[in-house]
Amino acid sequence: MASTSYSGLSGEVIPCPPRAGTLYDVMELILDRGMVIDVFIRVSLVGIEILKIDARIVVASVDTYLRFAEACNRLDLENTTRSTTVPELFGGQAAKSAGKSKAKKAVKSVGETVRSVVGADDDSDDESEEEAQPARRRRSTARAGAGSRRRRSEEE
Amino acid sequence: MTDHGVYVYGIVRAAHPLPSNLGGVGGPPGIVARRDEGRVAAVVSPAPPDLRARRRDLMAHQELLLALAADGPVLPMRFGMVAPDEATVRRQLSDAEERHLAALESLAGRVEINVKATPADDALAALVAADAGIRGLRDAMRRRPGYEANVRLGEAVATALARRAAEAGHDIVGELRKRAHASAAGPEVAGCQVNMSFLVSRDDSAAFCAEAERLARQRRDRVVLRVAGPLPCYSFVEPRTPVSAGR
Repeated sequence: MASTSYSGLSGEVIPCPPRAGTLYDVMELILDRGMVIDVFIRVSLVGIEILKIDARIVVASVDTYLRFAEACNRLDLENTTRSTTVPELFGGQAAKSAGKSKAKKAVKSVGETVRSVVGADDDSDDESEEEAQPARRRRSTARAGAGSRRRRSEEE
Repeated sequence: MTDHGVYVYGIVRAAHPLPSNLGGVGGPPGIVARRDEGRVAAVVSPAPPDLRARRRDLMAHQELLLALAADGPVLPMRFGMVAPDEATVRRQLSDAEERHLAALESLAGRVEINVKATPADDALAALVAADAGIRGLRDAMRRRPGYEANVRLGEAVATALARRAAEAGHDIVGELRKRAHASAAGPEVAGCQVNMSFLVSRDDSAAFCAEAERLARQRRDRVVLRVAGPLPCYSFVEPRTPVSAGR
């Protein structure tokens, strides 16, 4: 069968069947590109629109800014010789992981929102629950986003 | 088929082999069939009564198109295209036969590779080192710590990280374009600075991905590149097939 390789953060190309990673990475192509025939009817994508708005709230929020500032501040404490700007001196382990987890969180939270709207459970056929999810999710993301993302980064 | 219409996955040449082991959208998965009309064919299944963009159905759509593409060119439909009945599908195929054949010919032996650029994981240190403005804001925050200073610094950092990822992403796209048959910008994706698809020869797809990775490694303090493919050529089909006059 045809397989798709997906390569991500590690930098190496991993051949794998076209499963989760690839699907979320190209979902917008499946939904927004491809051929359209005017005499055909298109399935409603109401839930998908909500998902996009949701993702933007997570990415460009005061919460995100504060986390970046915090990471920047931690980076500062690592740097004892202020006069130098050699990148290596900023790349200490603690500073590096701080920056890493911030950026990862932002990317991840987008992915996870996507996942939750299309239904994270592959076998889930619970229509009413899926329908109800976006609105609920939107509120919980805004309120509890930082906390849940922090927990996740600790698990890594 | 059923009262709910005919789900259309894509258009292939007549007699294009169907994968034997894959079902279509719906639960249980619909039975996939090919409807030949002249020299072209539509790959279809009965549309389920309550079709929406569920994970399961997106996967079924994607996997079937990938499997079909292994045996020859496919014009992938956008997810969720449903014809009212088979007669409509057949009429569309016969009306647009020449155009479909030409499009299939143009995609033969080619695949889509999608590249997305996001800010680098560990870009913060490199950014602070390189950007005097950010260092100024950081120093200001340290002198007079407070909510406002934090927000201002954080916003500047977020903006700069995005800008650096976009610049690096555009550089990479410029390089990759040289070895692609065509390129097409993808839809805007939140948190993603560059979203570009390339049409490349199937034989060259592994080397193309490796080159993308190499270019990304050179800019790893600025950008993370997510490379996906080979994919069905979603971005390289005529988005709309006009309805013929008189219909």
